[in-house]
Amino acid sequence: EISTLAKLSSVKMKLLCAQVLKDLLGEGIDYDKVAKLTADAKFESGDVKASVAVLGFILSSAAKHDVDSESLSSELQQLGLPKEHTTALCKSYEDKHSALQDKLKETSLRLGRLEAVSWRVDYTLSSSELREVNEPVIQLKLQAQGAESGSTETTVVSVSADKFRVLLTELKQAQAMMNAL
Amino acid sequence: MVDLLGRLAVAESVTLCHRVVDGLCGREPPHREDYSTVWSLEEWVELLHSLTAIFRLAALNNSSDEEVLAELSGLGSSHTENVLKVLRAREEEIRRALLDITNFISSAMLQDFDWQLKLALSSDKISSLHIPLLSLSLDLREDGALRSVAMEMNRDELNALISSLEAANKVVLQLK
Repeated sequence: EISTLAKLSSVKMKLLCAQVLKDLLGEGIDYDKVAKLTADAKFESGDVKASVAVLGFILSSAAKHDVDSESLSSELQQLGLPKEHTTALCKSYEDKHSALQDKLKETSLRLGRLEAVSWRVDYTLSSSELREVNEPVIQLKLQAQGAESGSTETTVVSVSADKFRVLLTELKQAQAMMNAL
Repeated sequence: MVDLLGRLAVAESVTLCHRVVDGLCGREPPHREDYSTVWSLEEWVELLHSLTAIFRLAALNNSSDEEVLAELSGLGSSHTENVLKVLRAREEEIRRALLDITNFISSAMLQDFDWQLKLALSSDKISSLHIPLLSLSLDLREDGALRSVAMEMNRDELNALISSLEAANKVVLQLK
């Protein structure tokens, strides 16, 4: 694949990198543009696929292991990618390095991500069990991501005022610990 | 009828009353075997029912001493006095228990919760992750059965949860 990439001009290479980065960042790749960029070099569809895949692999692996652009540059040149191409690729990588890492962090496995919280405070006046109740009750609706992607699990729960206070205090303690990290 | 209680000595009847209240508050109720020589099964069931009803109604209505004493007519005065003492001593506890039952009506109730703070180190996507995560597990009591729900949040999600709960807490504090 390195030799296929070398057939492109370094400017086209840079533009192709920009498209692949867009794909990795979840903004979507424009295949028409990719086809135009690679038309000059007389790429067949297999070559196009291979070069997009190899660029995606290089860029995401570099970001995954937090490789700096100089190390990436020397590695790629050792593999036989021409100097100008390497510079073009590494420049694109350097610009998007932190964005790529943020994206990878964001897409890392998360279990039961808390998505939404709704609440309502009720004041119970009376009940069949107790004539005068006069106690607040907090109704909570918590939406968390389910085990399958795209599914959500909704939990509706009432919390007595005492328990609610304890819950809030403990969550604040956890928050303080988290912020101290 | 409560006058059946008169068959026990005063001290024993106090113990029995306390255990009836225990049962009402969701702890261990008195055992019939302990009293099988005093009452027949029918009498036992009847006595237990009427005692429970008296304690419950007294707490429900915030009854005055006179009202309770009227319920206990037919029982010797020393017994009556002691039943009243038990009631006054444990009134708040009975009220709490009835309050819990009230809260359980038609909704899942938070019984307990646990949390765990973790630092995510690495993943298949990125070798150095370093994100603190809070796991929160809620034990819900629903129709008598316990159900556990777990969720996980990062710093931003926890901040969002806390500020949401803070807003609710403000309203609760205003009520008091």
